[in-house]
Amino acid sequence: MNCTRRNFLIGGSTTLFLSGYFPKISFASMQKKNLIIISLRGGMDGLTAVPVIGDKRLKKLRKKLILEDVLNLNSDFGLHPKLEIFHKLWQKNQAAFVHATNIPYTGRSHFDGQNLMETGAHIPYKEKTGWLGRGLLASNIIGKGLAISLPMPLLLRGVPQNNNFFPSPDFVETKLIDQIYNEFKGEHNELIKSTLDTIRQRPLSMQIATDSDDRKKLALEAAKQLKDQSGPRVAVFDLDGFDTHAAQGGVDGAHADELEEVNKIVTILHENLGQAFDNTLILTLTEFGRTIKQNGGYGTEHGYGSAILMAGGLLKKSQVYTDWPGLKKKELFEGRDLNSTVDSRAVYNSAMSICFNQDPEFLRKEVFWGDELPDLSQELFKI
Amino acid sequence: MSLNFYRRVAFGLSPNEKPDKDPLNWAINQLDTIPDLLWPGTIPTEKDLRKKYGEWVYGDREVLRKKFKNDKHAYRKAKDELRIKTGERYFELNEHAIRHFQTKYSKQPVFERFWLFWGNHFAISEKDFLAEFSTGPYQREIIRPNMVKTFEEMVQSVTTSWCMIHHLDNSESFGPNSKKGMEWGETINENHARELLELHTVSPNAGYTQEDVIQLAYIMTGWAHKWDRKNLETGDIWFDQEMHQKGDKIVLGVKYKNDAKRELAKVIHDLATHPICIKFVSTKLCRHFITDEPTDEMIKPVIEAWNKSNGNLIEIHKAVITQAYKYNENTHKFHPPEIWLMQLSRMFDLNIPLSFEKMNYTFKSKPNNRQRQLSWILREIGHSPYRAKQPNGWSDLEVDWVSPELLLRRFWFASVELPMLVKSGNRSHDFILTCLKNNFDDHENMASLIENFRFGISDYDLGQKYGVICNLPGVLKT
Repeated sequence: MNCTRRNFLIGGSTTLFLSGYFPKISFASMQKKNLIIISLRGGMDGLTAVPVIGDKRLKKLRKKLILEDVLNLNSDFGLHPKLEIFHKLWQKNQAAFVHATNIPYTGRSHFDGQNLMETGAHIPYKEKTGWLGRGLLASNIIGKGLAISLPMPLLLRGVPQNNNFFPSPDFVETKLIDQIYNEFKGEHNELIKSTLDTIRQRPLSMQIATDSDDRKKLALEAAKQLKDQSGPRVAVFDLDGFDTHAAQGGVDGAHADELEEVNKIVTILHENLGQAFDNTLILTLTEFGRTIKQNGGYGTEHGYGSAILMAGGLLKKSQVYTDWPGLKKKELFEGRDLNSTVDSRAVYNSAMSICFNQDPEFLRKEVFWGDELPDLSQELFKI
Repeated sequence: MSLNFYRRVAFGLSPNEKPDKDPLNWAINQLDTIPDLLWPGTIPTEKDLRKKYGEWVYGDREVLRKKFKNDKHAYRKAKDELRIKTGERYFELNEHAIRHFQTKYSKQPVFERFWLFWGNHFAISEKDFLAEFSTGPYQREIIRPNMVKTFEEMVQSVTTSWCMIHHLDNSESFGPNSKKGMEWGETINENHARELLELHTVSPNAGYTQEDVIQLAYIMTGWAHKWDRKNLETGDIWFDQEMHQKGDKIVLGVKYKNDAKRELAKVIHDLATHPICIKFVSTKLCRHFITDEPTDEMIKPVIEAWNKSNGNLIEIHKAVITQAYKYNENTHKFHPPEIWLMQLSRMFDLNIPLSFEKMNYTFKSKPNNRQRQLSWILREIGHSPYRAKQPNGWSDLEVDWVSPELLLRRFWFASVELPMLVKSGNRSHDFILTCLKNNFDDHENMASLIENFRFGISDYDLGQKYGVICNLPGVLKT
């Protein structure tokens, strides 16, 4: 094997025409479909978000972390009480979960893990582009990514002309932007000129926005953009703080605080996308789950299997999709972590195929080097 | 010669500097010696800061997490107190001040530009608490002293530094046939070996294979921190024979005989003097100082200087500057946000960094807003130097720095924040004109753009002026 980093900017989109895949033209496929990814950095604990009900072993190992009252999903799984919006959407077949899932990474390092959750690769730092960026490029969807962060996230890299939205502490006067734009007119710098064009074409609400510490405002603006038929088709949110080594707690612990943030973002997106929510998929992404056993600080250590939280009108039905591996010692990964029985990249690959009207087989080859990733579109999403 | 040469290879000219009659000589003469660090405030040693790092992780991991296991609020409070006590929120601010004080006042600004370059070539990305405690002193104590030695010596120092070993997990890399590897059923961690090949020396152009990475990782096993209960992972680096993979190794077709700790120096010698390494690093240097896509013609003299001097960095730096001078008039280079900020600070004598007296810290309360200001600005313009996202450091390509939000952040800084950093004696229109004249050939044209605001000296008026002139094509680029 040769260790060069692959360059996906070259030759990605041209092969599209060779794939032999032509999506059926229907009214539904004419509607813009949105794919929203929320990165949960630090290692989200699937067993706190979507706890398995009545497992004696879990109760025993997590004496101080057990949720006293969970929202009801089905006979096997409950939902953390802070994830209210998911519960509400569950009733309408607009929320679902994939459980005992993770990227194929077992190293338990945040840095390597976060790199891999974004690149979708097997070896940390080997790839320079993100699976979402490559998916967009392969689908010939250019300039439709919106990152809700200041640096362009690795996840979206690999496709040109993404936008990012993360307003500065104070806004910039339009007059100034126009003046600088004029000065660049005579220049041959196409990149800066086209970027200034993007800035000037922004809706007023985006232009005068300030204060990126207010996640509510950011989500609101993202919803507005995504709702626009000619706006972005992909949005990426970033949350961190899931690394709860101590005082993780149950209903009201440190992990609950983070889940509450996810809940807030999804609530705002749901409220403000309106009809467009029916053509939207929201998926979470994390580097790993957490150990079963609580540690000395009533927190948990880095683990393996976790869960994906999903919402949106493009879901097939409310369900906890899982090939549950069990929590007995011999069923755990290395005797300590919830195992992963679903490669989460299969979920993301299928989600991209739905949202980008693309053959999953084609995407699997273009984006994930032809790795064995079963097509889960039928099971999880509306086709 | 255009005045932009002073920004191309340095940070522009401050109001009390004048253009030199011989700019090339001016630049080349700055590279033979290591200028002293000028910051009059505290400059803690790497070892001292590593001790603080240890106090912080020990205090949190071994004490607080156990003590407040039932109470997230009490835990947060105690953790905040520990942050204050160990300087966890302070030392990075101080390091930024040391760095920016240097680029603003150094008499050898060209040397300082190379300092920034090498620190980013051997980047420490955001991981654990490295940015808080260790990346700054690593820049000062590992990168800087090696800048008048050979490239090979620099690679040796970097590779065995605590900061890089922690950054790339070499302490977790065990030879599978070593004593400890067999006892504990552990194996190698390839991170450091891969980056030593890919980022620090030969680059993927050398065509190495996964087997080469593994073999190099074997050679590197044993170079690790000395762990103990109190210092945890912050102990000194040593060579632990009991972690070292036994047997001969082969990297890029060269055989390295089983020779314990001496294997590493041998393989680094071969990597650091490899023709593909020389070409790769020379290209990066030219990319930084000349243009994003330097041609073979631009790079060739740098490679020649490298070969002739056996990798002496002084000679290599001089060759790079000579090329930057030669191509100054017909190439362009877009500057990343931090260098742009340093240039504005030097050219317009801005009030950053904070005076060292005000930077004094008592370890009794959180650093105040003024102390945090420079680091806050760096973060807001998208370029906090010691927090690169990945081990390949910050990009040196225009395409990675031109996004809507990143440009807007510069407009914001120049029109809103910068006016508050103008010293009280420098608020006149004439002061701006003097600085423009000192640094830009088309200063008259620039002056005409802000002519309308010539009478204003309020923050708002200054914002109108600086907002435009700091973001003109010829200022964002040289």
